[in-house]
Amino acid sequence: MKSSPNKGVLLQYWLSGALGGWGGTSDGKHKASTNAGGSVHGNSRPGAAGGGGGKVGLSGGLTQPAGWQSLLSFSILFLACLAGFSSRLFAVIRFESIIHEFDPWFNYRSTHHLTTNGFYEFLNWFDERAWYPLGRIVGGTVYPGLMVTAGLIHYVLNLLHITVHIRDVCVFLAPVFSGLTAISTFLLTRELWNQGAGLLAACFIAIVPGYISRSVAGSFDNEGIAIFALQFTYYLWVKSVKTGSVFWTIGCCLSYFYMVSAWGGYVFIINLIPLHVFVLLLMQRYSRRVYIAYSTFYIVGLVLSMQIPFVGFQPIRTSEHMAAAGVFALLQAYAFLQYLKDRLTRQEFQTLFFLGVSLAAGMVFLTVIYLTYTGLYVRLLTCYAKIHIPIIASVSEHQPTTWVSFFFDLHILVCTFPAGLWFCIKNINDERVFVALYAISAVYFAGVMVRLMLTLTPVVCMLSAVAFSSVFEHYMGDDTKREKPPEKAEEGLGPNIKSIVTMLMLMLLMMFAVHCTWVTSNAYSSPSVVLASYNHDGTRNILDDFREAYYWLRQNTDEHARVMSWWDYGYQIAGMANRTTLVDNNTWNNSHIALVGKAMSSNESAAYQIMRSLDVDYVLIIFGGVIGYSGDDINKFLWMVRIAEGEHPKDIRESDYFTPQGEFRVDKAGSPTLLNCLMYKMSYYRFGEMQVRRGALTPPGFDRTRNAEIGNKDIKFKHLEEAFTSEHWLVRIYKVKKLDNREPLDHKLRSVVPKQKYTSKKVPLMLGGEFALQVWRDSFRFS
Amino acid sequence: LLKVTQMMEWASKRSVIRMNGDKFRRFVKAPPRNYSVLIMFTALQPQRQCGVCRQADEEFQVLANSWRYSSAFTNKVFFASVDFDEGSDVFQMLNMNSAPTFLHFPSKGKPRKSDTYELQVRGFAAEQLARWVADRTDVQIRIIRPPNYAGPLLLGFLLAAIGGLAYLRRHNLEFLFNKSVWAFSALCFVLIMTSGQMWNHIRGPPYAHKNPSTGQVSYIHGSSQAQFVAETHIVLLFNAAVTMGMVLLCEAATSDMDIGKRKIMCVAGIGLVMLFFSWLLSIFRAKYHGYPYR
Repeated sequence: MKSSPNKGVLLQYWLSGALGGWGGTSDGKHKASTNAGGSVHGNSRPGAAGGGGGKVGLSGGLTQPAGWQSLLSFSILFLACLAGFSSRLFAVIRFESIIHEFDPWFNYRSTHHLTTNGFYEFLNWFDERAWYPLGRIVGGTVYPGLMVTAGLIHYVLNLLHITVHIRDVCVFLAPVFSGLTAISTFLLTRELWNQGAGLLAACFIAIVPGYISRSVAGSFDNEGIAIFALQFTYYLWVKSVKTGSVFWTIGCCLSYFYMVSAWGGYVFIINLIPLHVFVLLLMQRYSRRVYIAYSTFYIVGLVLSMQIPFVGFQPIRTSEHMAAAGVFALLQAYAFLQYLKDRLTRQEFQTLFFLGVSLAAGMVFLTVIYLTYTGLYVRLLTCYAKIHIPIIASVSEHQPTTWVSFFFDLHILVCTFPAGLWFCIKNINDERVFVALYAISAVYFAGVMVRLMLTLTPVVCMLSAVAFSSVFEHYMGDDTKREKPPEKAEEGLGPNIKSIVTMLMLMLLMMFAVHCTWVTSNAYSSPSVVLASYNHDGTRNILDDFREAYYWLRQNTDEHARVMSWWDYGYQIAGMANRTTLVDNNTWNNSHIALVGKAMSSNESAAYQIMRSLDVDYVLIIFGGVIGYSGDDINKFLWMVRIAEGEHPKDIRESDYFTPQGEFRVDKAGSPTLLNCLMYKMSYYRFGEMQVRRGALTPPGFDRTRNAEIGNKDIKFKHLEEAFTSEHWLVRIYKVKKLDNREPLDHKLRSVVPKQKYTSKKVPLMLGGEFALQVWRDSFRFS
Repeated sequence: LLKVTQMMEWASKRSVIRMNGDKFRRFVKAPPRNYSVLIMFTALQPQRQCGVCRQADEEFQVLANSWRYSSAFTNKVFFASVDFDEGSDVFQMLNMNSAPTFLHFPSKGKPRKSDTYELQVRGFAAEQLARWVADRTDVQIRIIRPPNYAGPLLLGFLLAAIGGLAYLRRHNLEFLFNKSVWAFSALCFVLIMTSGQMWNHIRGPPYAHKNPSTGQVSYIHGSSQAQFVAETHIVLLFNAAVTMGMVLLCEAATSDMDIGKRKIMCVAGIGLVMLFFSWLLSIFRAKYHGYPYR
């Protein structure tokens, strides 16, 4: 099949080198156009290093092929890591070294807590600043791997007297780990196919948008390090199945332990590896190596995974983990039968017996799998999406995936990876069974939920690399035809066709690199804490309203002030403003969230009751009507109503917030309930006086996000007062007033001074008693 | 009272009572009556081509059955339906011009505004309808959907077919080890998933969109957030073509056929890859506004 493997592989290295280097330079170019300072290490260095590596490799290669092979592959891998690292830096260069979005702020805050207070204090941390008045046990409800990793790096660097702030460690953690992911993908693909495919796969995963989306600099989240752990665990697993040595299996278990400590997606591993073993058994590829690998992995991995406080006893209790236990039992039974088979003579009877037992066990396993997957995923996702359990459905990541998202995140790879799957199944062996199962299960999950695209991306890169590598192997290999005179007559599609095919394939890969850079730069590099808008001439305005408001809170409010906001902003308030929040992005308590939603969607006096009972001091809302920011609270408002309705159906009805025609409008035609609810009033307070300048004349109070003139311009507050509004009105903060003095009674006080002479002595006494009771009751209620 | 027994008799026969103009006037419109009636106005005749009506009807049947066979069943609430083709006079009488519509006729007093179910806002899921019913009549209905036997039955049939096939050919189980079959089925699964069929399954989009004014049929949805069924089929085909092109390229280089055939295979392969990939790219570009390349 391979006529000149050596040469084919070599040429392929050149190609991958070109690809890696080209990826690097294209990043550099983009950066140069946006920011002159950024071009220094993006543009010049990869090119120079690539050229240098090539030259050295060429001169050494004449004498020692193996030597220059490894040098070349090393330099390509290095370039891939570098390209991956630098293409994740768009956000840092455009804005600054800052933590992005929502969840990372919590991770950053807990890492900060870890580094200042130590590991044991972190494990026992009870955070009284979240979920007021409930609080949250943080140590037992997080996957600590991310924080510990960042803390450890910070500790080591400080030990070496490299004094960096923990924030910089957090910001650059994900890009560094993407480099490690590229290396482990290379290792895994090399085990599955060959070294050339491995290098291509490393180049792919370094720049593919599906993975960049979760690992740009500043997105300090579990997924960033978990994908590395995932790939490395799989590499070690494949290695241990290949060798059957306990050494590799223990390595696999340790890596699995790291994965469990880092991300809830470890469930994917603990189901995929048993599935692999089961399919190997079905295919009668049972061997002692598989037995050793799986038995060791299951026991050691189980014990290790139970060491994480958040996981605890789940691995022996919940249905997701039962498949692994079932396969473990099955494997033991199978091995025992094999042993018996060697001892006993009646072969026929033995095989029949074995068939019956394996069928029964297989049925049990299948039912377990069926229950697991249908129970966990299908019911959880498809039905939830249908019935609208609001809090799940309101998260955009939990939606199914359209073909456009597949293409957007994977581009050419999504079309070519089935070809790689085809080649793998056609030339099957133990580890290719694994990658095929990996591809099929990951593609299913990615189809169900956008978020799980992340687990699909590595396998797509690997299989596409296999497809491209096998094409290049045949089409770049023999265009000079020096080494094989005997089969010249047979061989030969002709150099023309070959070079055309090669050129076209290279063109496709170039388009892929351009696409990746564009997507990274445009779609995945926004911190969402700092916004940017572009003028017509291309200059950029930075809108820093979020941080402005959070720092206002930090500087001007009492340290123990309670801030109410919608749950999206809980982590940011805790992280940046350092104030107590009522609800946050860890949405563990639906009824508490519903209470906040109810306060937001009730009228002012009803909301005041709720806010008093929750001890709220400030209310923070996001309003995008001035600048046309679409992710503001009015646009999220219906979710608040829905969630509140789920818990308080008597008080809140979604239909009240629609016009009779079933529209959601903020202008005069909108429903009166909407126009008088707290959220509406807080968003549009004083907005009616404001003239938003925007080309043509618009009336005052014109909402740019919803393109409507607001319906209620005369907004007065009784229990709230405006405390702060940021520069572009993006964040508005209201102070909840303390109770007023008691209102004067509308009827005259009964005169206690007895004018009438004829009253008996008991009456003033009774009056006095009643009055005292009233005073006592009031003081009790509001103290 | 006679009316109640009559209604009970009907309700014991079928959970949704079918009504025409006469019955409607006698049992619903005429005043002395101590039960409330929930009526679905619909148009189920095939010539009306009302797809929504059929779906709404199914949900309404689920609701009515859950009520009919629940332990809390009383003669306070009845479910009925009026078809346009059987009682068009009722539609005229109530001044209605759209179907399906759900109306509640309370036992006392006239129907008010909130007795009309807001179909546009709340959808016609049986759970939502039950909530509305609970709201209007104080009758709590727990929705019990009849379990769907089609899936397990199909699975069982498939397993039986496979088992039967294996039994028939038990002396020659080679076909189980045919890699092409396995590879082909894996490929089918992967292509189905990557073309967004799961999205279709969950969201249930229309097959294609027909512009009512021009009569032009568009197969591609204009936004990147949504898709038509037809569109996913096209994408599936394109993805498959690109994959086939890649495989052909490899086959052309490795197989032992004569050189002419291999050359044709090679050219066809690269042609397939380039043509269908650029086609796919152009569709993507049409959907994803602001995409700058090609």
